[in-house]
Amino acid sequence: MDWLFHLTELLRGTPLVEFSLRVSDWPFALWLQSHFYAIPVFQTLHILAISVLFASTLMLSLRVLGISGQDQSMAVALTRHRRWIWSALVALVASGIVLLISEPVRNMINAIFWIKIGMLLVAIVFSLAFQRSIARRTATWDVSIDEHAALRAGAVAIVVLWCAVMAGGRWIAYAPV
Amino acid sequence: MISNALWQTIENSSFSSAIASSEWMFPTIETLHVVAIVTVIGAIAMMDMRLLGLSSNRTVRAVAHDTLPVTWIAFGLAVVTGLLLFVSKATSYMVNPYFLWKFGLMALAGLNMAVFHRHVSKGMDDWGTPGHAIPINAKLAGALSLALWAVIPFCGRVIGFTLGVYYTA
Repeated sequence: MDWLFHLTELLRGTPLVEFSLRVSDWPFALWLQSHFYAIPVFQTLHILAISVLFASTLMLSLRVLGISGQDQSMAVALTRHRRWIWSALVALVASGIVLLISEPVRNMINAIFWIKIGMLLVAIVFSLAFQRSIARRTATWDVSIDEHAALRAGAVAIVVLWCAVMAGGRWIAYAPV
Repeated sequence: MISNALWQTIENSSFSSAIASSEWMFPTIETLHVVAIVTVIGAIAMMDMRLLGLSSNRTVRAVAHDTLPVTWIAFGLAVVTGLLLFVSKATSYMVNPYFLWKFGLMALAGLNMAVFHRHVSKGMDDWGTPGHAIPINAKLAGALSLALWAVIPFCGRVIGFTLGVYYTA
């Protein structure tokens, strides 16, 4: 765990310190800090957003793996879940920004926060690539079911990735500082 | 609460103390609890939104068939991890009003689900096909479920901010 301390130490030497301190003085940050229910409300919205995103991702992956959703064609499943995934991402990022403003120093000077953001970006890019490769194959998908080894691996990987992002979120509060 | 001694005994067991005193156990179990509850809420919301007539180009039966196994498996994980979290701080949880609210609301959500499957879902193969009007009772069940499952994680979050605020008299 030493490297986490080092990473946080590194963050302490960046302009992020001054920036995060400035954000803590924003009127909105002060408002969030001084209203007891404000932070849990936005945390709940954040949880609800990841719930929609994660469940849709999971269902799409289960369809790719042939475990569930077999009554609908791959093309229909993709259009159905894709919409919810990306709309939920907007709500996820919006509520996340509010949470960032609510505790700027605790987040920005925190190695685990930046690891989480890194994993989030990987998960977003991976989701895009995953959905694109499904889209390219929808026409022949249900005809040649066994030729999608890479996509099946991707279906598992994307679920694991989002779990890692959630784990990162939970561990921000337990970061060694 | 009625039997504070019981919660005290549970909390003081070596098993509970191991979780409470470990640096990584509580956060790790909590992480699994979050992943489980996120899956439960997302899967239930999918069914609720279908009942409300959103994304209704699929039969209600098909949506239920897909979401129920995911819901129950994830709920099982949430219960196991939740119990482990509970025993480590049993006395603090049992005096916390948000904890008690959370369980009251979960019981309501379970009741709503039972009533839906026993009564409201009757004739689902007719009204639950794309293009058919959804009966008001089914819509209400969906709306109630969505509302309950939005407030339940809120109570869960507030517990984390209020542990140690409440004490037994």
